[in-house]
Amino acid sequence: MPNENVFFAIDKASYAFEDGNRVLHDIEWEVPSGAFHCLVGRSGCGKTTLLKLAAGLLQPSSGRISIENQPVLKPSQKVGFVFQTPALLEWLSVLENALLPISLHRRVNEEDRDAARKLLDLVGIADLEARVPAQLSGGQQSRVALVRALVTSPPALVMDEPFAALDAITRDEIQDDLLRLVALNQTTVLFVTHDIMEAVYLGDRVAVVDQGKILSSASISTPRPRDPNCRYDADFAATCQKIRSMMSSNTASAA
Amino acid sequence: MIRNYLPSFILLLVFLTGWEAMVRFTEISSLVVPPPSAVFSVLWDGFTTGFLWKHVWVTSATTVIGFLLGCVIGFVCGVILGEIEPLRRLFWPYILAMQVVPKLALAPIFIIWFGFGMKPTVIITALICFFPLLENTMVALDSVTSEKRQLFRMLGAGRWKTLIHLQIPSGLPVILAGVRVAIVLALVGAVVGEFVTGSEGLGASIIAAQGMMDSSLIFALLITITALGLLLYQLVLFFEYWLLSRRVKGKIH
Repeated sequence: MPNENVFFAIDKASYAFEDGNRVLHDIEWEVPSGAFHCLVGRSGCGKTTLLKLAAGLLQPSSGRISIENQPVLKPSQKVGFVFQTPALLEWLSVLENALLPISLHRRVNEEDRDAARKLLDLVGIADLEARVPAQLSGGQQSRVALVRALVTSPPALVMDEPFAALDAITRDEIQDDLLRLVALNQTTVLFVTHDIMEAVYLGDRVAVVDQGKILSSASISTPRPRDPNCRYDADFAATCQKIRSMMSSNTASAA
Repeated sequence: MIRNYLPSFILLLVFLTGWEAMVRFTEISSLVVPPPSAVFSVLWDGFTTGFLWKHVWVTSATTVIGFLLGCVIGFVCGVILGEIEPLRRLFWPYILAMQVVPKLALAPIFIIWFGFGMKPTVIITALICFFPLLENTMVALDSVTSEKRQLFRMLGAGRWKTLIHLQIPSGLPVILAGVRVAIVLALVGAVVGEFVTGSEGLGASIIAAQGMMDSSLIFALLITITALGLLLYQLVLFFEYWLLSRRVKGKIH
């Protein structure tokens, strides 16, 4: 029963490394189009592997992954990937880095440049377009990586702890930049993090991944656009605590 | 800048003066150790009469042609072997063996094959430059982070595009470090190659001067070779700086 509104459908997917070590077990998950889902979990719980499966960078050992009802057999062009590090090309300017997804395949035209400049402007770094990555701060580099992932307006983004290396204040700011950008085209997002507050602030739904399984999930009802100050509400803290307890209870039983 | 080098320059003057004094006021034969004044007068004559220019030209041409050939072939082979795993496995033991062979020891066979003159020296020089480029290129292409490789896969870039737009530019600093090593080795290769094979060039002139017990000329030739080496090295550094400058300082002017 194909569902029109599902973007990512993960159906009983497992993944094992070549040495037979299984990192994911029978994952069932769906991300509706336009939704923002976060996966939280400890290091090594398999969340990054799950993200790579969803994007088509890896193929599941068993089970099926589909995007808009099409099986994912290779890296999907419908998905922009944002990595743990900005992974910018240090010999290209900010603008050229942002346009890489286009320049790899065809000549860049003025329209493309305007589109990239508009996105750079939305994250507040339009005036840095001629700089090279070595001249940018960590937060600025992350913003360029974000713009690069969105420059072709893909219907979805998958993000692998993209802000983990940033300081707390920069991270708060770039989270708002991200929400603003994905609201433009109702981009579907699958976001991996180990930071529960980040997951609760960004997501519509937060799933807890542990030892290769999705344990449980919670939907977040905070209205959008989100007010940066909602991070200090009692409701917000209660939700974080709820998710934290989902993680701890399992670890206690495993230990 | 000039002030920084002033102490070094004074040291040179002291050294030369001491050397001159030692040769003049002791029993050492000027045939064995020529005084600097004699060396400089030979050097001056060599360049004003044009006698040295001809040899400088031959050695420069040999070095540069051998260097360019070796670098280009080394780079291309590095790309091919770096990218095609079965070929790398097939050739690697032989490449390793060839790298250990002292290239200058091949000179006699090259003379049999190619005759005397520039040709065997150019080939020896090219062989010497080949290996640093081969090895550095292979290492450089392999050193791209896995995230950047995954990025290119996500962007739908095939092998060729990944090579041209990611691996080569990303490995350029390492490849150019190989070029820097190669230019120094190239001059050594050319000069020593000329010892064996040449009738012209600075290396051949050293052998000729040795035959005539003309130690002043040998010193004059050594100074010329050093100057040529510094010049070539600086040119390579300049080229490297030009290629990499953008990563360092960007386009802001």
